Amino acid sequence: MAYGQTRALPSAWTSLDTAGSMQQAQDALETYKKKDPNKVVVRFKAVGNAPIMKQNFYKITASNRFQAVIQFLRKELGWKAGDPLFTYINLAFSPAPDDTVTNLFKSFATDGHLIVNYSTTAAWG
Amino acid sequence: MSTYAPRHHAPSAFSTPASTTLFRRLTWEGTVPLEIRVDSKELPANSDRGLECYYIQAPRVSYLPLVVPEIKRFLMDVVFDEAAARIIKEEDWWFESEEGSLLKWHWPIGLIYDSHTITSSLRPDSSSSQTTPLRLILHLASPPTDKLLLSPSAEACKQAFMGQLKEADFIRWGNTKRMTGLRKAEQDGLWEGIKEHNFEEYWRVAAKITPTTSPTRSTSPPPPPSSASMHTRPPSADPGSTAAPDRDGAYSVRSVPVRIYLPDGPVLQDLVPPTLEDGTVHTLAKFLATHLPLLFPPGKPPLAYALVQGVHVPSDAEMAWLGACMAGADGWVNVCVGIVRDSHPRF
Repeated sequence: MAYGQTRALPSAWTSLDTAGSMQQAQDALETYKKKDPNKVVVRFKAVGNAPIMKQNFYKITASNRFQAVIQFLRKELGWKAGDPLFTYINLAFSPAPDDTVTNLFKSFATDGHLIVNYSTTAAWG
Repeated sequence: MSTYAPRHHAPSAFSTPASTTLFRRLTWEGTVPLEIRVDSKELPANSDRGLECYYIQAPRVSYLPLVVPEIKRFLMDVVFDEAAARIIKEEDWWFESEEGSLLKWHWPIGLIYDSHTITSSLRPDSSSSQTTPLRLILHLASPPTDKLLLSPSAEACKQAFMGQLKEADFIRWGNTKRMTGLRKAEQDGLWEGIKEHNFEEYWRVAAKITPTTSPTRSTSPPPPPSSASMHTRPPSADPGSTAAPDRDGAYSVRSVPVRIYLPDGPVLQDLVPPTLEDGTVHTLAKFLATHLPLLFPPGKPPLAYALVQGVHVPSDAEMAWLGACMAGADGWVNVCVGIVRDSHPRF
């Protein structure tokens, strides 16, 4: 067995059967599925002739999808359905709308903020 | 065999340009079987019901909007009658798995397939899931646009693909200069390569943005990967090396673009440096033990397995190598994690 020293392990481990390890795996998946309740700071920055927001720092729940950030921004700007709005991270790329704010924050945060640029025309396209 | 040339030549049994090309080609040529069935409730009147199923062996690197034209041609020619063919609008089409989960337009088909495989690993009757085609239901009306997130057009899919490539570029180098440095025709060539499933056309451009794997130091043969690669620094990361630093090398990146997919569950993304703080090479085993310790407990048998491009990857595979040789066409290494059952080979 790969986990050699059975004496050091609790008995539950040594008698682990397939059903037991499945249950353990299911429990692990449930843990990883739990949504991150924390909030992170998102900073909106206008690009080109996009209107500037009066307040541009917002705390957003980290488990939200980026799509929710886009919808929030559209609402704040008073954009109607169909009005063009392009969003970018760090003036560089548009993330997938189903990516989470947590993931983007972990990889791209600058000085504790996730910088979201918005534009009415496609930039860096 | 291929027309693109790696920028660094160094003879090495471990990671020659030939082996890099081989793994890139194997990744590129991977296909998955799909069975596409029109939702029987939505079949137009007078359709030929015996034939409403279509089978396709789709490239892993392709996307659903790119196979829609072929499916449409089949349905128009064989299944629908003329009256139905006139009113069918492919803008209203959308796909669902047999189990009822929506299939995203902007996910590579290989990822859709692997994601379904790992989700099936939770079900008791999953042993045959690897050998049968992935069964898709094609709906002809009322797309749930808010959940699909993207319009079903090939153009929207291309924009999403370019976004992923740029995000991968940013992850690797901290900027997108390599992507933005490409001419428009070159950027379009990447997408054309996927549309045509043309390895040479895609890699002619992709070689300019993907890290190389050739070591810069060629004086001594590298150690065999199985025994020593877990413990030694790669030549390109060795501060004593006299060779010029390989600024495009797989070990020079800031981070490898990697996402973890869990069954039915969240997608996890974090920075994945090619070498760890203690100077050792970052391997898949270390990566999984760090990010999913409950499924890959250190010193104990794993409760889960990891698929990359449908392959059970050895746990000592190096993250940097995966990024250079087994990433999808969008630049991302998708690690799909399934639950170990007796029928699954263990890590």
